[in-house]
Amino acid sequence: MRVQHSIVIICMLGAALPVAAFDLGNIDWKKAAETVKKVQKANAEINEPQEIMLGEGIASNLLGAAPLLDNPAVQQYVNRIGRWLALQTDRPDLPWQFGVLDDNDVNAFAAPGGYVFITKGLLAQMNSEAELAGVLAHEISHVLRKHHLQAIKKGARTELLSDLANDAIQSNGGDPRLTKLVSAGTEVYARGLDKNDEFEADRMGVVIAARGGYDPYGLPAVLQTLQSLNPNDSSVALMFKTHPALADRLNLLDQEMSGYFGGQENLPDLAPRFMQALGAGKK
Amino acid sequence: MKNLVALCILFGFVPAVWAGGYAYTIRPTELKAQPYSDAQTLTTLPPQSRVEVLKRQASWTQVKSVSFSGWVKMLSLQLEASGQGKRGDNGLSALFNVAATGKSSSTVTTGIRGLSEEQLKNSKPNPQALQAAKRYAVSRAEAQRYAAEGKLNAQSVDYLSGGQ
Repeated sequence: MRVQHSIVIICMLGAALPVAAFDLGNIDWKKAAETVKKVQKANAEINEPQEIMLGEGIASNLLGAAPLLDNPAVQQYVNRIGRWLALQTDRPDLPWQFGVLDDNDVNAFAAPGGYVFITKGLLAQMNSEAELAGVLAHEISHVLRKHHLQAIKKGARTELLSDLANDAIQSNGGDPRLTKLVSAGTEVYARGLDKNDEFEADRMGVVIAARGGYDPYGLPAVLQTLQSLNPNDSSVALMFKTHPALADRLNLLDQEMSGYFGGQENLPDLAPRFMQALGAGKK
Repeated sequence: MKNLVALCILFGFVPAVWAGGYAYTIRPTELKAQPYSDAQTLTTLPPQSRVEVLKRQASWTQVKSVSFSGWVKMLSLQLEASGQGKRGDNGLSALFNVAATGKSSSTVTTGIRGLSEEQLKNSKPNPQALQAAKRYAVSRAEAQRYAAEGKLNAQSVDYLSGGQ
């Protein structure tokens, strides 16, 4: 027994010696191990409940910036259209939540986990349900492809995201790291997503609208309208700053959609229902 | 124009695009007699041809000028900026009290809230508003019912490859 003990101790010493030797060679193995651990953490994917928790915080922040439009009929209408579109995707059962913000700015926002907001300023530029569907489907695509999470990662918040992935952050109790992460997530709207993520959301959005039975040209029609707005107007400043040029988006959609929707040539745009739902018919 | 709007509303018909907007062609563009590819080509419009926009139907826009009328591919057009920075008027701007320029009244009254870059960076959470928003969430069954009411038929369409 005593002999065995000694052998173990000698082996341990032997194992420790090379470490000491390397330390002398200016390689900090402890630090290296920590780095490896961090990289592993960074690659850990956050799961769906964590994604929803983060998105809820970001959505709450957005509603802190602009209030909900006080019009239950319009809110319900947008939720009906949005949820129907989400059902045409591979994430139909997220807690999809749509809302119209009472703000004249022309913009739309998607947050992780299924939160989608459009401003009344953008809604006022639309002419049909197919156009609304196109815009909502574009935002839904950002959620499906987790573009927002990618943008947070790029914003050097990898470590906080890792903490979230590793369950180190809990929703209740007001963890300051979650607050930081949510702030970082809200700042993404001021910075914008990756240009290619916007193009991807455009080409996914037209397909999701068509899957829902809508004229797929609703989204390009809205983009074309936005192109006719005065770019110096403050209401379009942030949307223009955070998105690729409308001419580029329309050009890509033109190339990609051309000849693709042969079976969806005569899908409805439901313009009358749109006008009625938004109350314009009563005027 | 006002009469046209009144008539449209009276008969429950709302055209996708109100008449009165103008656009110009951004490339040589075939003018078709009907809104489909193998319809008769009436002429080819050179780039920068100015046309009046009548209405849109799927990927086609009906246009006219003093010398012609017909259909062109919608994305061969760029809409002209109108006086107020907006093409036509669908009636919603007035309804929502959206000003042609400037910020929303809510921004003016609170002085802090809004969706500008700075305001987004400094926004504070509003959990009450989030709970209020959640009241409007719609179930799968309700979404399907409303789609059926609008005679929407789900289609099977693959995602575009994006040239990959």
